[in-house]
Amino acid sequence: MSFLTLKFPRIAGRIELENCISRPTMSLSGCPHVANFKAVNGSSPYRLILTYFVSCSTQAAVKRKAQSCLCHVCGQLDLRLHSCLYCVFFGCYTAGHIHDHAKATKHNLAVDLTYGAVYCYSCGDYVYDQEFEAIAKEEKTKAAKFVGTPCSVHAFLSWEVTASEAQLLRQNPKRRKITSNSTIGLRGLINLGNTCFMNCIVQALTHTPLLRDFFLADKHHCQMASSDQCLVCEMSRVFQEFYSGLRSVHIPYRLLHLVWTHARHLAGYEQQDAHEFFIAALDVLHRHCKGHNGVSGNNPHLCNCIIDQIFTGGLQSDVTCQSCRGISTTVDPFWDISLDLGPSGSHSKSTLSSSSTSSAPIPNADLSVDSNSSGSSTSSGSVNNGDSGLLSPTGFEDVPTSLDDCLRRFTRPEHLGTNSKIKCSRCHSYQESTKQLTMKKLPLVACFHLKRFEHSNRFRKKISTFIAFPHELDMTPYVSSHRRANGIKNQSHSSTLLSTSDNKYSLFAVVNHHGTIETGHYTCYVRQHKDQWFKCDDALITKSSVQDVLHSEGYLLFYHKRILEYE
Amino acid sequence: MIEPVCCVADRRREKVHQNIKMDLSWKVKDVQMRAVINQKLIETGEKERLKELLRNKLIECGWRDQLKAHCKDVVRRKGIEHVTVDDLVAELTPKGRELVPDDVKKELLQRIKAFLAQQASI
Ligand SMILES: [Zn+2]
Ligand SMILES: [Zn+2]
Ligand SMILES: [Zn+2]
Ligand SMILES: [Zn+2]
Ligand SMILES: [Zn+2]
Ligand SMILES: [Zn+2]
Repeated sequence: MSFLTLKFPRIAGRIELENCISRPTMSLSGCPHVANFKAVNGSSPYRLILTYFVSCSTQAAVKRKAQSCLCHVCGQLDLRLHSCLYCVFFGCYTAGHIHDHAKATKHNLAVDLTYGAVYCYSCGDYVYDQEFEAIAKEEKTKAAKFVGTPCSVHAFLSWEVTASEAQLLRQNPKRRKITSNSTIGLRGLINLGNTCFMNCIVQALTHTPLLRDFFLADKHHCQMASSDQCLVCEMSRVFQEFYSGLRSVHIPYRLLHLVWTHARHLAGYEQQDAHEFFIAALDVLHRHCKGHNGVSGNNPHLCNCIIDQIFTGGLQSDVTCQSCRGISTTVDPFWDISLDLGPSGSHSKSTLSSSSTSSAPIPNADLSVDSNSSGSSTSSGSVNNGDSGLLSPTGFEDVPTSLDDCLRRFTRPEHLGTNSKIKCSRCHSYQESTKQLTMKKLPLVACFHLKRFEHSNRFRKKISTFIAFPHELDMTPYVSSHRRANGIKNQSHSSTLLSTSDNKYSLFAVVNHHGTIETGHYTCYVRQHKDQWFKCDDALITKSSVQDVLHSEGYLLFYHKRILEYE
Repeated sequence: MIEPVCCVADRRREKVHQNIKMDLSWKVKDVQMRAVINQKLIETGEKERLKELLRNKLIECGWRDQLKAHCKDVVRRKGIEHVTVDDLVAELTPKGRELVPDDVKKELLQRIKAFLAQQASI
């Protein structure tokens, strides 16, 4: 399409003018010819051309631009049209018509009508005059407001160096370029006595792309009374250590000490559970982001700290009364999803339990009863059909063998049984009901905890069955709107409602437990440079492959969203 | 009766000429069409929106960073004193075109088609 040529102007032959003296360097000082022009005419001709033909901010200007933006020689409109700054003659750059005009009239300055840049024929290149640049910026902002472009990524990437940053850059002249074989970001961690459970979580966290970006961009502004009590500050230091380029082993004793002080139940030199440590670490980090030390009472769902921005998702629970079909819906925040591996129906009562009890700061969230709002989905007695359709699909009825099995089981409707009747808010009586969990809000980083450790009063054992997990995961089937629509009606119409690409995830870290429940060891696979995998075994880091990762047992699986939406 | 060869040749030439004429008028039409579409795109503000969309997509997919890195390489190779925008344009244009991901082109094409369909129905 011709439109693309706007972005990629074609090659233009350079013309040599007799008075072409020197090649300019690209700086903001402009050139003497622009200075001469401004001395005689001021900068208003430039601004006029911009407002009428480059960055329009009135309907009249837009109309004029639409009608008059074509070459006065050949009538073409997309050969890098330029306007003479002196006499507003329009000519193509690519076909040389503006060059001809400059040569014939000695009008040596022309404005590019796509971007507003100024070309000087005497200098033989575009020139950058500070005052013109400022005008261009101003008019561009006005025009953007007028057009109302909904969301621009520019807000997310314009980094204008401040004086202090410039100073820092000057003081630290050493630059590092990350190449595809660079090992920056990889560092072994000393085991401080059964602390491999912590080391593998530190490895997973330091390889969480969004968390890395946050810390390396120095975004943490400490809210704690003293910064050496702040776990976020410590994480910040750990990131500095990891990405310093040093290859020696790092000793995370300060981190361990801080976690011990702030999550007392983890203190001591026994082997701890990596999952428990992960949740505890997130909780302390979340509290310290907000600057408080004690137990956080606030609802992490509404928190905008970096931890909640990255890890918090919303789990919807729909309880359907079997008598009146009324559905009461609650949404609870979660940081991870614990998945049962044993045979279904054994003792896997509430699948949410593990995550809600271990992630302590979660009170019940916004409880809303929408018995009639979701009228379309509660229609007639079809819920039952949908239920039974989901309850007895083939294969995973007894033991799940893949992450998808686990997630399907996690999100299918479950009969709460005759012993646990719930008071229905619609028909106001105690009734049997079914409960279904679905993903109301997907987190940016999804952490899946495969419940390999079974604890009961009488025994503790480890489930070592192989659970296949994918490299790329699509969460669409488990999203509330999709799952419920599918459970109730046939699959066809619901899938068109949402674009599936938004729910795709990539695997970036896997924590493994080796050995038995009594004597075990943790290691972690982390991803670098999009597709390289490394195995972190405390101080030892070895190159690995995605096959190794996918064939490993898997205890904690970390996925990150492939596409991030703008806020 | 057998037609004289010269007549056949004449007819053929005629036909070729006709074709050329048709082709020419089609070209003229094409130019006019492009002008009208361009005018509509600008008037409605759609062009600015498309440009913004393209810009965002190219940033998101890393195209911009790739091209920027390439620019830096060219400047470093030639020396800042000896490089003009035209030099950069010449070196980068083929690369830039080649690196635009297909789904970005596709999405843009779809948007333009949708716009034209909507305009045609007015
Ligand atoms: Zn002129
Ligand atoms: Zn022209
Ligand atoms: Zn000049
Ligand atoms: Zn801090
Ligand atoms: Zn928080
Ligand atoms: Zn009821």
